[in-house]
Amino acid sequence: MDITIQDYLNILPLIIIAAGILISVVIEMYAKNSEKILPWFSIVIFFSAGYYALFTVNSQSVLFSNMIVTGGTANIFFFLFCFGAAIVSLLSIDYLKKAGIYFGEYYILLQSAVLGMMLLANARDLVMIFIGLEQMSIPFYVLAGFNRKKHFSNEAALKYFLLGAFATGFIVFGMGLIYGSVGSMSIDAIMTKFGDVSTNAVFIIGVLLFIIGFSFKIAAFPFHMWVPDVYQGSPTTVTAIMSTGGKAAAFSALFIALSPFFGDVSFNIFKPFLSALAVLSMLFGSIVAIAQTDIKRMLAYSSISHAGYMLIGVTSGLASGTAGVIFYLAAYTFMNLGAFGIVSMLEGENDTNLKIDDYINLGKKNPLIAGLLSIFMFALSGLPPFAGFFGKYYVFISAIESGMTWLAIVGVISSVISVYFYLRLVVLMYFKEGNEGINPTVSNTALLGVVIAALIVILIGLFPGSIIELISTFVI
Amino acid sequence: MNIYDLIFYLFATITVLSALAVVSTKNIIYSAYNLMLTFFGVAGLYVLLGADFLAIVQLIVYVGGILILILFGVMLTNKVNGMPIHTEVTNIIPASITIGLFAGIVLAFFMNTNWKSVTTEFPATTIQSLGKLLMNEYILIFELLGVLLLIALIGAASIARKQ
Amino acid sequence: MIPIEYYLILSAFMFIMGVIGVLTRKNAIIVFMSIELMLNSANLTFVTFSSYLGNVTGQLFVFFVMTVAAAEAAVGLAIIIALFRNKQTVSIDEINILKW
Repeated sequence: MDITIQDYLNILPLIIIAAGILISVVIEMYAKNSEKILPWFSIVIFFSAGYYALFTVNSQSVLFSNMIVTGGTANIFFFLFCFGAAIVSLLSIDYLKKAGIYFGEYYILLQSAVLGMMLLANARDLVMIFIGLEQMSIPFYVLAGFNRKKHFSNEAALKYFLLGAFATGFIVFGMGLIYGSVGSMSIDAIMTKFGDVSTNAVFIIGVLLFIIGFSFKIAAFPFHMWVPDVYQGSPTTVTAIMSTGGKAAAFSALFIALSPFFGDVSFNIFKPFLSALAVLSMLFGSIVAIAQTDIKRMLAYSSISHAGYMLIGVTSGLASGTAGVIFYLAAYTFMNLGAFGIVSMLEGENDTNLKIDDYINLGKKNPLIAGLLSIFMFALSGLPPFAGFFGKYYVFISAIESGMTWLAIVGVISSVISVYFYLRLVVLMYFKEGNEGINPTVSNTALLGVVIAALIVILIGLFPGSIIELISTFVI
Repeated sequence: MNIYDLIFYLFATITVLSALAVVSTKNIIYSAYNLMLTFFGVAGLYVLLGADFLAIVQLIVYVGGILILILFGVMLTNKVNGMPIHTEVTNIIPASITIGLFAGIVLAFFMNTNWKSVTTEFPATTIQSLGKLLMNEYILIFELLGVLLLIALIGAASIARKQ
Repeated sequence: MIPIEYYLILSAFMFIMGVIGVLTRKNAIIVFMSIELMLNSANLTFVTFSSYLGNVTGQLFVFFVMTVAAAEAAVGLAIIIALFRNKQTVSIDEINILKW
């Protein structure tokens, strides 16, 4: 096992983040005003790792005795996680002060959660998926309860922790059954032995338990019960990274574990289960979101329905479906980050200004913020010129290609329902008589982060063809 | 029936009974002590399966570490004199129906799978091969676990401190 | 020689006990103990298959699971204690500011 300089260069994003965590710990220990230094330090780390990952997207290799892969889709995910986390760091600078949790550890935990997501995205072995999952989840449990003086935050952390650990139990037991039937935990070994085990009942149950465990993490319908409460109770910037990066990482792990099945008839066993999850999540999320009065809860239900749309792409079992979901995740990450970013900017002290009615007349009081929020709402609802539309388009096309047109039709119906609650917010901001509503004070760093997210959403919407082409070249 | 079979049944009984007790007793302290018996029974089964190193680690980490943490949790969150340490049980019926179905499926598949019985000889001790694997193929994971433990330490300290 | 099925049935039984505990108990610490039962049953599955296949990778994975379980226990109990400080309860039903 010789490791060359080139190998080190290939895993440089991982090394940057891991070294960043250790340096941050030292800064936190010795610097007096670490909470002022650490956000900028972590932005530099995230930005350099993300930029480097995008730059070296073509250098694909398999390292550490088939533990991890670099290049290709893994690097695209690296870019998503790192840029997402950089935007979250920008948002957090003023938010943490406002929420009274102005501590440096926040950024250490954020960096380690990003390290976990990256490990999930480049895993090539079930052991790596497990370690990546825990490396991501444990910092999230803490971050959810970071506002430890508040009941909301404590309860969010407890619920997230108990259900997250419950899901881990399913995943580990499922891995045990997969290991027992295959004799190894490496994805390559599963691929070579796939012909023998694909009809083995123990193997199928193992994969099913694995999917159930990850359904908790991606927040699909019957396993969604923690989502609204945790998203509402956690600090808003934490919710932003949890609902985007966390979901994208869980999807990437699902793709890695299911990759031996794609293009094989035995995948048909999972299709009814996966399509039921997809349909229920889409419809449940869209319909329940209409009844919400709290904006964070509304976005939480919307994220459940987005998990449903993405599951359509997984259900198709085609390369075009995988590419479509990765495109969708890229668009979703930045539009949802932007939406939560604006919520975190407008949020007042002690959880005020979080009702949907607080957004009335925002268009008159702060046209810039209202315009940005409208962009994100249009994109989330999937209206044509923005990124969200193309994500849904590619995913629905893959469903039709795999002969499940009905799934695409349900998806379209659910998108039409969801337009109502996204656009209701836009209507409230611009077309409401009277003078009620809040007068927001806007933080400049957070505004910068939101503007970057908006620019990326617009860029993805302008050049969907070249982006999906880039992704498709790496999806086999 | 030889002596090893007897030992298996002994540890299996301990494990089953104490696992039942963990989820069914009303008193949280009894649950914690039964959990200790379960860990102990599982450690015994590890020995029977030839995993000597894991049996020791099970005793040190689970019984000596995690269980003590849980007991601390119980002591810190229940006012032992005054507040009751009894806890309740809810929604048994829906839970038992879903779980019964699930259990039936899993057990049926385990019974019907045709396990090719190969008796493999384990070396007298597994420590050497485990150590070699850990330091070669799984070195990356070994390093990452170090980071994970550091983060857990920082996280737990930052969320539980007073101030 | 005990057949492998016996070990697997035992671990499936422990797993199901753990799931029952998570779904039916109200106290957060007991729910956590039930999760530990589930992890232990998964570990037993791994060791059983490892000895059946004559392959120590499974045992190494159990070692990793134990490490992670210890980290999770520390974080989880810290969360439970932080909640208890604010609310003086660890019963899931009494925690009702957010709807379950």
